[in-house]
Amino acid sequence: MSEIKSTNGKKRGSVLIVGGGIGGMQSALDLAESGFKVHLVQRDSTVGGTMVMLDKTFPTGDCAMCMISPKMVEVGRHLNIDIHTLAEVVSVEGEPGDYKVKVKLEPRYVDEEKCTGCGVCEEKCPKKVTSEYEQGLTVRKAIFSLFPQAVPNTRAIDKDNCIYFQKGKCKACEKFCEAGAIDYEQEEKVIELNVGAIILSPGLDRYDPVVRQELGFGRWPNVITSIQFERILSASGPYKGEVKRPSDEKHPKKVAWIQCVGSRDKHNANPWCSSVCCMYATKQAIIAKEHDKDIDPTIFFMEMRAFGKDFDKYVDRAQDEYGVRYQRAMISAVREEPGTGNLLLRYAREDGVLVDETFDLVVLSIGFQPHSDVAEFAKTFDIELNEHRFAKTTQFQPINTSRDGMFVTGIFQGPKDIPETVMQGSAVAGEAMALLAEARGTEAVVKKLPPEKDVKDEEAKTGVFVCHCGINISQTVDVKKVVDSVKGDPGVVHAEDMIYACAQDSQEKIKKLVKEKGLNRVVVASCTPRTHEPLFQDTIRDAGLNKYLFELADIREQCSWCHMGQNEEATEKATGIVKMNLAKANLLEPIYTDSVDVTPGAMIIGGGVAGMTTALSLGDQGFDVHIVEKEEEPGGVVRNLYHTLDESDVQAFLKVKIDEVHAHPRITLHTGTEVKSTDGFVGNFKTTLKDGTSFEHGAIIIATGGEEYEPTEYLYGESDRVITQRTLEKRLAEGDGPKGGERYVMIQCVGSREEPNNYCSRICCQDAIKNAIAIKKKIPGAQVVVLYRDIRTYGLREDYYTMARDLGVMFVRFVPERKPEVEVVGDHIQVKAFDYMLDSEVMFEADWLVLSTGLRPHPTTEQIGKLYKLTRNPDGYLMEAHVKLRPVDFPSEGIFLCGLAHAPKNLDETISQALAAAGRAGVVLSHTKLVVSGIIAKHDRDICMSCLSCFRLCPFDSPYIDEEGKVRHNEVKCMGCGICAGICPAKAFQVNNFRDDQILSMIDTIADTTCH
Amino acid sequence: MAEAAIALEQEEHSTVEKQQEIPPDWKPNIIAFACHYCAFAAADLAGVMRLSYPTNVKVIRLPCTGKLDHIYVLRAFEKGLDGVFVAG
Repeated sequence: MSEIKSTNGKKRGSVLIVGGGIGGMQSALDLAESGFKVHLVQRDSTVGGTMVMLDKTFPTGDCAMCMISPKMVEVGRHLNIDIHTLAEVVSVEGEPGDYKVKVKLEPRYVDEEKCTGCGVCEEKCPKKVTSEYEQGLTVRKAIFSLFPQAVPNTRAIDKDNCIYFQKGKCKACEKFCEAGAIDYEQEEKVIELNVGAIILSPGLDRYDPVVRQELGFGRWPNVITSIQFERILSASGPYKGEVKRPSDEKHPKKVAWIQCVGSRDKHNANPWCSSVCCMYATKQAIIAKEHDKDIDPTIFFMEMRAFGKDFDKYVDRAQDEYGVRYQRAMISAVREEPGTGNLLLRYAREDGVLVDETFDLVVLSIGFQPHSDVAEFAKTFDIELNEHRFAKTTQFQPINTSRDGMFVTGIFQGPKDIPETVMQGSAVAGEAMALLAEARGTEAVVKKLPPEKDVKDEEAKTGVFVCHCGINISQTVDVKKVVDSVKGDPGVVHAEDMIYACAQDSQEKIKKLVKEKGLNRVVVASCTPRTHEPLFQDTIRDAGLNKYLFELADIREQCSWCHMGQNEEATEKATGIVKMNLAKANLLEPIYTDSVDVTPGAMIIGGGVAGMTTALSLGDQGFDVHIVEKEEEPGGVVRNLYHTLDESDVQAFLKVKIDEVHAHPRITLHTGTEVKSTDGFVGNFKTTLKDGTSFEHGAIIIATGGEEYEPTEYLYGESDRVITQRTLEKRLAEGDGPKGGERYVMIQCVGSREEPNNYCSRICCQDAIKNAIAIKKKIPGAQVVVLYRDIRTYGLREDYYTMARDLGVMFVRFVPERKPEVEVVGDHIQVKAFDYMLDSEVMFEADWLVLSTGLRPHPTTEQIGKLYKLTRNPDGYLMEAHVKLRPVDFPSEGIFLCGLAHAPKNLDETISQALAAAGRAGVVLSHTKLVVSGIIAKHDRDICMSCLSCFRLCPFDSPYIDEEGKVRHNEVKCMGCGICAGICPAKAFQVNNFRDDQILSMIDTIADTTCH
Repeated sequence: MAEAAIALEQEEHSTVEKQQEIPPDWKPNIIAFACHYCAFAAADLAGVMRLSYPTNVKVIRLPCTGKLDHIYVLRAFEKGLDGVFVAG
C-alpha cells in the first residue's frame, strides 16, 4: 500500500469506490486518469461484476468479455488504482473531503506478490465445487479464479470447500506451486484508508425464481434462468457456446422465454420493472438463432419495453429477420412432460383461447434486486434507502446519496443497463472531481515507464499472436492454421495462438516474449484496431518497446463475423490479412511524440439543463466554461416542463440552475448566438461565435438538445379539444382544470415508433401517467383513458403505472395496424378503438383528446454534426463513440455528448449524462499537457519543392509558408489524414505508420497471397 | 465527334493486351482502401451486424481516403489484383 501523507485538514486527493463492476471501473479509470488516487473495494476475488457473465450485449451483439476485458486489464494495471478484493467496508468516519474507512480483507490464501497466475494449482486441486460464475451449470475447483480473464489473476482458496481446511490434509496446490505462493496461514485483516469521497457501486442481486414454484425452476431441469442461458451461449461457458439443454445435453429446438419473472409483481416478487429483460431476451433469442439456425424462439411478454436508443429497431429485426416470435401472454404454470424433459406451457392467446404448447427449453427472464444485505450496507455508510431498498436519490440529483460526499452509480440507484451504468460511473467521477478539485494530483503517482529499447537499426524480429476470441474467431477461422502459415515468414521469430489476446494473462505473456525473444515488432490478429490497438500498444510499451511498433490485424469484424459458415475461405482470408499486416509491421519504425499544453476550459453548445449541469460541474472542478445558447434564454425544452413523475417542481429547479450559472465565477453564458467556427484540436480549440466573440478552450460538449414533435395526426390543429401532453401539463400547473365531469382520452406513440420515426421517445408514457395521476388526484371520478401500444414505465417508474391503475385510469391497448379513430362530434371528441382484452370495438367520448407526442433532435444537431464531423443515426441523433462503453464520448478526441442530442431521455437521465460529460471532459482538462498523436504527417523539407499543393488542400492548415518562402509543417495541428501525402508530387510528406513503403508492402502481400 | 471518339478507342484497344476469356469459376481479387473513421468503421459494423459478403476482398486501412496515392492503385493492378475499391 502506498503511503498517504497528511493533508492537514485539507481535502484528500483520493476516492474510495465500493464495487468493481463496470460502473465502478469506469469511475476508477476516469478518476485515476485525472489525477486522483483510487481505492477499489470489491467483494469478489476479481473485478468485473455482472457484465463479465454476459455472452453478448444488445443491440450491437458485441461480445461482453471482449469489451470489459480491456477495461479490467486497464484497471488492473493502473498505477493509481489499488484493487482490494475479497474486501468489505466495515466502518466510515469523517466528513466530505476527508473520510477514514476501515476495510476488512478476507484471506485469499495465495500470496499475490509471489503468484504468477499460471493456474497449475487449480489444475491439480482434486476438489470440485459448483461454479457460481457458471450459474451452477458446471464445476470449478476449491482453489479457483472466478473466470479465466479474472483481474487480479491470482487464484483464491475457497476455505469452506478446501479438503485441507476441512479435513486437515491434501495441500496439492502447495505441492505443485512452483512459486511457493500458497499460504494457508493468511488471516483476515482490517486496513484503514483515508479518502476524500466515496462512490457506491455495489451492483445487484438477481431474483431467485425458486420462489415462484409454479414455473418449475429447480424442479424441472430444462427450466433455466436467463443468466444461465447467457453462460450456455458463451464460448467459454459450460457447453462451449453450443446451445444445449441441461437434462440431456440435446440441442433444443423450441425455446421459450418467460418475461417479468421477479419483476412487476408485488405479490410474489418485486414491484419494479428491471428495465433490461425485454432487450436481453431479444438478444438471447437472436444469438441463440445465430448459434443454431434450427432454434425456434418464442418470447412470452407482458409489454415490450424497448425504450432505449435503437432498441425498437432491434426488436423489429429479431422479429422480421430472425423469426423470433413475440407472444403477449402471462405464463401461469410450467409443467414437465413425463419422460421427455420437455415443458408444457399453458397460456391465453390474445383472442382469449387457452393454448397448451410444448417447448424443449424454458428460459426465465429474471429481474434485478438489491443485495440481500443492503440494509446493513446502507447502515455502514449511513445513507438512506428508498422504499424498494435502492439508494435514495432525487430526480434532480440522481447520483447523490442522502449523505454529502457519497455518490451512487449503477443498479444500486435503480435498475438500468450497461451504458447508463457507465454514464453514471463517469458522472460520479465528475462529481468527486468537483468536490475534491483543490486536491487533484496530491496523492496520485506518476507512472515510470521502462526506458525504450533502441531498435532503429535492428532487423525486424516480429512476434505474431492470433486470437481465438473465445470462439468468435475460431468457430470460423482455423486459428492454428493461420499461426502455422506465418511461421518462417520474413521477420517472424515467434507465432502462437491465444484464447483471448486481450486478457491480462495474455498481455503478460506478450510482455514476457518481447523480453525473452527480443521481439522488436508485434502483430496481434484479433479484433478491430479501432478499439483494441491502444491496449496492446501500452502492453508493448510496458515491455520497453516503442508503442508504434505494433500492428493489429482485424480478423474478427472483417473476417470471421462476416464469413460465418465459410470456414475454408475465411481461414484463407484471415491468413492474407495477417500476412499483409505482418509485412507492414516489419517496416514499422519507432515514433517519438511531442506534447502540447492544454487550455483548461470548455465550451458547451446548448444551454438547456444538460449544458448547464455540465457547466456547473466543470466550473466547480475549476475549469473556465463558455455556454453558447442559441435562444435568448437558457433552459431548453425544460422551460415547458412543470413537474416530474414524482411531482418535483421543475421550474423551481430550473430557476436555481440558471441563477447558479449566472452566479458562477467561471461560467460565461453567451445567449442569442451560435458557433461560427472552431479551429484546433483536443486541448487547444479556438471558437468564434456569430456575435464576434472568440475564446480558447480545451474541450467541447455538445448539448444541443431536442424538441417536441408537433403532431399532424388525430385532428391536432383542427379542433382545440385536441392538445398535447405538454399543453395539458401547463394547464394543470396553472390550475386551469381539471374540472368536474371532464373526460380525458390520451393517445400514446404519436409520431413515435413508426416510420419515418421508428423509435421510442421514452418520455411519453411517463408524461401521460404523470398527467393522468394529477387529474385523478384532483377529480377522482374523472374519466381518464390511455390508449397505448406498450406502457414503458421502466425501472422504479413502474410504481406510477401501478398508482395510475389504482386510481382508476383506464389503459386500452391498440396496435399500429388498427389505430384509434377520432372524430369531432358536437363539442367533444369521439374516439373509437379496438380493445384486445374485450375483443371488441370500444367507444370513448372525450372533452380533451391528449396526444403523447414524441421527441426529435433539435434542428441544429445536423449543422453541429457537420461542423464537428460527428455522425448521426438514421433518426438524426448524434452517435456516441461506442454504444455500451463510451456513451458520452465521440470518436474525435476532446468532444463529448449529453442530453437529448444523444437520444430521448428523462430529466434525471439527462442530468446523469451531463455530469458524465463533465467527468469525461474533466479527464482531458485536468492534464497540463497532452501527448500529440504519433500518427501525423512528417515533412521532408529537403525534397519539398514548395509547390503549395499541400498548403491548398490541408483541412487543418498545418502546412504554412515560413520566412524563407518555403513550405513548413506545423505538426501540432496535423491530424494525420495524409491528404498532403497523397497529393504531394515529390512525396515529401509521409504519414507515420502509413508510409508509402508500408502500404505498398501490404498491397504486394495481398497480391502474393491471392493471385496465383 | 462521337464516331471519332469510338474510332480512337478502337485504335487504342488494338494496341493493348487482348481481353481474356473469363473462366466460369473465376473470382476477382479485390483490394479495398478504407478510411479509418468511416469506411473501415463501416466494415467493422458489417461484422458486428453479421452482414455477409464474399471473402475475396481485403481491407487496407488508411487514415483518410485523402491519403490514397495513385501509386497504390497502379501497383495493385500491376501485381495482378482485379479490382480496387476506395471507400471513405
